[in-house]
Amino acid sequence: MIDGVVIFLGGLLGSAHCVGMCGGFALALGTRPGLAANLGRQTAYSLGRIFTYASLGAMAGFTGRRLMAEGGALLNVQAALALTAGVLLVLQGLSAAGLLPAARARTGGACLGPGLFAGLLGATRLRSVFLGGVVNGLLPCGLVYAYLALAASSADMATAALVMALFGLGTLPVMVLVGCGGSLLGTACRHQLLRVAAWCVILTGLLSIYRGVALIREPPGSACPFCLSLSNVKAHPLQGVGFVGANTGLKVAS
Amino acid sequence: MPPAPPETCDYCGLPVPRPWRPRLAPAGAAKAYCCYGCRFAAAVTGARGEQGAAGWMLLRLGVAAFLTLNVLVFTMALWTQDLYGDPGGPPEAMAGLFRGLFRYLGLAFALPVLVLLGGPLGANAWASLRRRNLTADLLLLVGVAASYAYSVVSVLRDEGPVYFEVGCVVLLLVTLGRWLEATGKLRTTAAIEALERLLPGSARVVRAWAEVSIPLEDVRVADCLHVLPGERIPCDGRVARDAALVDEQVLTGESHPATREVGDRVFGGSQNLDGDLWVTVTAPARGGALTRMIDLVREAQRTRGHYQRLADRVTAWFLPAVIVIALATAAWHGGRHGLDRGVLAGLAVLLIACPCALGLATPMAVWTALGQAARAQVLFRGGEALERLASLRAVRIDKTGTVTTGTPTVADFAVPPGADRETVLCRAAGLAALSPHVFAEAVRHFAAEERVEGLANDEFRELRTLPGRGLAAVAAGSGEMVYLGSPRLMDEGGCDWDEALAAAAARAREDGLPLTCIGWGRAVRGVFVFQEVVRHEAREAVARLHGLGLDVALLTGDSSARGAALGRELALPVHAELLPEDKVAALDDARRRIGPVGMVGDGINDAPALAAADVGIALGCGADVARDAAAVCLLGNDLNRVPWAVALARRTVRIIRQNLFWAFAYNVAGIGLACTGRLNPVVAALAMVVSSFLVVANSLRLGGEPAAAGDEGPPAAAVPRPVGAARTGERVP
Repeated sequence: MIDGVVIFLGGLLGSAHCVGMCGGFALALGTRPGLAANLGRQTAYSLGRIFTYASLGAMAGFTGRRLMAEGGALLNVQAALALTAGVLLVLQGLSAAGLLPAARARTGGACLGPGLFAGLLGATRLRSVFLGGVVNGLLPCGLVYAYLALAASSADMATAALVMALFGLGTLPVMVLVGCGGSLLGTACRHQLLRVAAWCVILTGLLSIYRGVALIREPPGSACPFCLSLSNVKAHPLQGVGFVGANTGLKVAS
Repeated sequence: MPPAPPETCDYCGLPVPRPWRPRLAPAGAAKAYCCYGCRFAAAVTGARGEQGAAGWMLLRLGVAAFLTLNVLVFTMALWTQDLYGDPGGPPEAMAGLFRGLFRYLGLAFALPVLVLLGGPLGANAWASLRRRNLTADLLLLVGVAASYAYSVVSVLRDEGPVYFEVGCVVLLLVTLGRWLEATGKLRTTAAIEALERLLPGSARVVRAWAEVSIPLEDVRVADCLHVLPGERIPCDGRVARDAALVDEQVLTGESHPATREVGDRVFGGSQNLDGDLWVTVTAPARGGALTRMIDLVREAQRTRGHYQRLADRVTAWFLPAVIVIALATAAWHGGRHGLDRGVLAGLAVLLIACPCALGLATPMAVWTALGQAARAQVLFRGGEALERLASLRAVRIDKTGTVTTGTPTVADFAVPPGADRETVLCRAAGLAALSPHVFAEAVRHFAAEERVEGLANDEFRELRTLPGRGLAAVAAGSGEMVYLGSPRLMDEGGCDWDEALAAAAARAREDGLPLTCIGWGRAVRGVFVFQEVVRHEAREAVARLHGLGLDVALLTGDSSARGAALGRELALPVHAELLPEDKVAALDDARRRIGPVGMVGDGINDAPALAAADVGIALGCGADVARDAAAVCLLGNDLNRVPWAVALARRTVRIIRQNLFWAFAYNVAGIGLACTGRLNPVVAALAMVVSSFLVVANSLRLGGEPAAAGDEGPPAAAVPRPVGAARTGERVP
């Protein structure tokens, strides 16, 4: 269960980054008096997000599978995806920690965001809030893409969906808390939290790189403690998570 | 039969495409939209006013997105099973069951999307058809419906591939793409909207000794409005009571606020800076100078320049051609590979063809540029003016009122040796105070600068104004007759000329400079030589025009000596002693030798020249934008706006060309690829959205450019304002 836990933690710790970026949306929801009502709205919103992440994860898993099937001879696709995910995560973390110059996206063009979100998030009914979460999950987010790459590297739809769902669940506590409680913490404290979160993201990235390298080398018999089992068979990368049986290899369609 | 007036879209304010059989078009419906995107966007934003309920349109979009995600997951699960088996999944027996399950789930989730998103799309296409406008939307819908139908049959027969994900994603992308375009179109009118917002929604009217706040539309001519400091003046009018500093930059480009006193004209939209003002309304609520300016820009947005006409011609046959190609592709691939592949191939052709890129390429850039120019107080008559300005190779500037300010100043004040300068100046200023002539004002201004106070008015009696010659009055103290005027008046008054003064006068005449003399006691006591002030930004503006690669020269009716002096000062060639028809000839000559030539003038005295040039640029239109002779009207007097406008025009034309090139290249490449049948319709829809987004973004780049080439902000206005200068609120028609 180690890997799953790491991903959940990654989500949990990365969610401070989420708060920095998308906390505004969560706060925009919390306009109803009463903790219970707010809690309901925040949960609905986060469930929408998690739904989207899981769907995207499933698609990423299929993509990984497809890439592996078609390009498996040329490239160790899983390793490549794991490495990409790792690099993306590290870059994300570094820029969030302020160590990289942030690229200013100069979009001179139109943006649908205001219309979409104002309409859905400001509504009373829970279904609108849920849909707002669904749409929010589709917003461009480096962290999500990095985890999608990670999910893709598992090359299995169900596993990938689960990876993303775990990530999403990891972001749930903090987002709900922030949305309900407004600004629970002072500015200085929040900055510190963001920095810690950034470093956790970097750590997750490094782990992913390590795993990618391990997948390339695939030394028989030895294993990185996080992913490969002590099996001679080319093991399923997320065996340790417990969803895939020990003797399951990958069967590529002929 | 007169053509139907062009309708404007209710959402973005831009023209609605004209039906190709105007006489058969039905009477205007309640609301007209230029495209599906605007209709959708209007539904979304319109519903936002309801109490806490997300608009029905937005909800549809959200639900459709949710359902589409599900359909995608089901489809990919099906693909996994079909292509790869399922390594860790249930045994073969159950695989068939799962397959069936996913197919039915796909059906169940995908059909609502067709209803939710396809419904409005179809309604809009049908409405367009009834207006005799052919749009791609209807055919798109037919293609999508065909793919749905095929897939449903496939599921029911339990054999054959399903394509639900194609239909769902295509519908979603098309809806989002059209909405994106509409939002972009709205942004082009943002500049104009900003101007419109300058008029307050309500006004404070004084009625029966009480002040009442009423909506702006209810203000009538001759009402008296009370405007507090900090507020914007609601309507054009005249100041009835008190005075204040008023900022009229938005209308005249003058960065310095001006004092408006009783009797002065003020404009709706200008800002009262520091005092209470009571204003008598002279123009109805939406009939003032600002509204006329905005209407001018809207009118300009409707005209069609050269590039726009080119795009119109191409678009006219583009859509039918795409339809033919799509049908042919569908038939070809359908015959070879089966009905489903045929439908998909045809759909891909329909989707990737982006008539919007072609249709939007020119208008978006032009509209944004027009709006941006209006905010810099430069008004174009139409997109054509923009294009022609960009192609200029030479500029001819009329001297009066453009390069010079039109108000003279004293260049030299000569007195006979041994005379007391101050006394003479004091008397001159005192007498000049009694005359409204520009020269008299200049003398007074000069005296003020020299810190000499003119004698009080009651120092003079029996004032006589001698037309064409000057003033004469009797000085109270000494009882002498004092003359202020032309040398002829001096001769008539029996004043003798001192040698030095005679020399000064002769020099002035040689240089062609006007002069005024003051004399009493049978002697000329002083000579004032005047000069016109060259606008201090003129040199900078000329340099900028040179920097743009334009051939610049000055045209003037003055003497060659004066012209040469001016030419030296500005580093320009000067054509002097020109009659009005000579100016036209000079323009023709420039056009023959160099290329398209623009004429910069003040629009009053040189209307024929402005009309004869390829582009006429009128300075100092003020709020009188009805002036017809010029293609480009500069509201203020800032000559620097001319190079700015040329630079803007060139940028705009460059962007139009980029857009058109992209639109052509993309469509040719895209349709070609789609014809081979290898293009997934989903990818095609995505490419189409990206393409129109790129065109919109490229055009909107014009909206954010700095207002002066190389500078961070608008060029400095700062026309020097001599004391008591003519009130710029009034403009002699």
